Amino acid sequence: MMQHRQSLPFVFLLPTMAILLVLALVPTIYAIIISLQDRTLSAPDAGYIGFQNYIDLFGDRRFVNALWVSLKWEVITVSSTMIMAIGLGVLMFEAAGPRLRTSLCLIFLIPVLLPRVCAAFVWKFAFHPLYGVVTYPYRALTGQPLDLLSSPTEALFAVAFVDLWQWGFFFAVIVLKLLEALPPQPMEAARLDNARPWEIHAYISLPMLRAPLISLMFVKMIESLRSFDLIFVMTRGGPGTSTETLDMYAFSQGFIEAGKISYASSMAVVMMLVTIVVFTILWKRLKA
Amino acid sequence: MKNTLTGRVASTAIALIALTSGVAMAQGAVCTDTVKVLAQPRDGLTLLEDFQDEFKALSGAGFQIDYLNEGDRRSKSQADASTTGNYNVYYVDEANLALFASSGWIAPLMDHYPAEYDFADFDDGRQKTATYDGVVYFAPILGGGDIMVYRKDLLDAAGIAPPTTLEELKAAVEKLHNPDAGIYGIALRGKRGSGDNVWRWMPYFKGMGGEWFVDGKPAFNSQAAIDATTTYLDLFKYSAPGTQTGSWDESTGAFLSGQVAIIIESAPLAGITLDPSKSTVVDSVGFLPPPSPLTGGGFAHGFAIGTKANADDAALDCAGLWAAWATSKENEMRRLAAGQSGELNRKSVMGSPEFSAAFGTALPEALAATASKTAVNFWQDARWPELGNQWGIILEEMITGQRTDVAAGLVELEEFATKLVAN
Repeated sequence: MMQHRQSLPFVFLLPTMAILLVLALVPTIYAIIISLQDRTLSAPDAGYIGFQNYIDLFGDRRFVNALWVSLKWEVITVSSTMIMAIGLGVLMFEAAGPRLRTSLCLIFLIPVLLPRVCAAFVWKFAFHPLYGVVTYPYRALTGQPLDLLSSPTEALFAVAFVDLWQWGFFFAVIVLKLLEALPPQPMEAARLDNARPWEIHAYISLPMLRAPLISLMFVKMIESLRSFDLIFVMTRGGPGTSTETLDMYAFSQGFIEAGKISYASSMAVVMMLVTIVVFTILWKRLKA
Repeated sequence: MKNTLTGRVASTAIALIALTSGVAMAQGAVCTDTVKVLAQPRDGLTLLEDFQDEFKALSGAGFQIDYLNEGDRRSKSQADASTTGNYNVYYVDEANLALFASSGWIAPLMDHYPAEYDFADFDDGRQKTATYDGVVYFAPILGGGDIMVYRKDLLDAAGIAPPTTLEELKAAVEKLHNPDAGIYGIALRGKRGSGDNVWRWMPYFKGMGGEWFVDGKPAFNSQAAIDATTTYLDLFKYSAPGTQTGSWDESTGAFLSGQVAIIIESAPLAGITLDPSKSTVVDSVGFLPPPSPLTGGGFAHGFAIGTKANADDAALDCAGLWAAWATSKENEMRRLAAGQSGELNRKSVMGSPEFSAAFGTALPEALAATASKTAVNFWQDARWPELGNQWGIILEEMITGQRTDVAAGLVELEEFATKLVAN
């Protein structure tokens, strides 16, 4: 009976773990194998070339640029989303009554429910220099068009704004729900001691939410790594290479410009390794 | 009695089956499954979808067209043709024909093209562009060279004659550029890509004497390329907003909405400017060949037979029949009747009384005059998309101000090309 109890969890776990291993490991191993070859889409044959693709990567200015753009994208989107989520969540918690909160939560969920590609198309048109609603005030005031998506310095921020619009509101709803779930006594005690609202949240509620907020940040970090569709529709990595993230460049090399799938795979492998290392370090530091 | 009735029913059924199969055979039914086509949006194809039943009666099966815009169509078709091969027919163009043909992703067209559809009736230039290494690979759906379309009202008001040289073009564009009045001098293409910004830059490069390769070695890093790039970048100062990272849609859209004075684009634009459902400048456009020394970018798009999805001769014949039917004289006449002048390719159609009646004399004359300027501007090689796309990135960086050194950009491209041809 005892032995049966001990083996039962494995009976349930094994099939799931087996499927997970196949789904995760097979493509990963295949990508690693391909990255050591010189396979292209146009040639049926390929041979092993060792680490040549990896060596070539670090002499490729677009790869180095893509690494830098990816880092900027992560920092901008994750930090802005977390700041907006915490700010808006706290504001709703402090200023809105239960009925208004419910209405706001429903409205704030709409952007994230919109498919990413649709959102990208809508906002791309909204940013149009001649017809866009976002650029209209600038046109009305100055009489000049404002072409944000054609500006190497502003395009990344314009696309990040759309990402923030989709995820910032959604995360604000989560933060509000987390605040509502906290025990009220510590905050009530602070209020009795004449603590101001910002002091209550800075010193009591947000420190109490440290663990879920860190988890939320990691969710957003992973989500930001998968922003290919948004960037592809809005800028295709341009102007020039100013919004070309690593996944975008890998796709370009693999399927748009050259058909170099081995070279693209080597980028995917580098991206995977960097992500694992950086995320592990961050996770351990923040948990500590 | 019962046996007699059964016998009669059976006889009737057999007769019906024989009759049905006889009709099918008479109609030459060669398709068993729906023909899957990967294409880019074309008015002519939308029109074609209205005649699904006609193709079904002809072949025994229907067809399904999946549309993607030009850049995505190129990527998707390359990915599909080289891997899974889901499509029976691919929409290919002059820029990727060499890659598709040399990789064996498409089959020689004439082996599966029914003779009665008269391939020789296609314009000679289109036939030439559809040929790689002496073999015809696609049936043209559109093609031609470049044409200059200008706003007669704006030029008349400014007292400017339509430009016939590059110097005149530059002067006219500068003078006509008036953003405060919502008018931009010109509309160019800035979006990266061998078929996008590079396509529109090449007439300057070739017109100024540039060559891509000489004796197998890169020769484009030359004064001609520097002058062409500098001129293109100078003209971009007067290009409509949105075109800096835009392509055909953005530049022609700006012209058709009445915001651009002069545009030099692929010839199908000319007919579109005369279509009131798409153009706000129908009554005020004039046409001329591109100013000298610009060459016209000779191009052709069409339908090719995929090899992976068509496993046997019957399937190849079916795809060939679809390509032939879709580009047939009857369908071209339908497109002509619908005012789609940009998608006409047959000599018999362009020489028909219906064509003259629909477009008068100015447009046909201008189109005829572009022929002498039309040239093959790109490097006719399977590696062209890779080289062209690399230059497209560098060019877009220069157009949007991310880099400014033209000579350094060309040196970078030369290093890339040297590696490309060495591999």
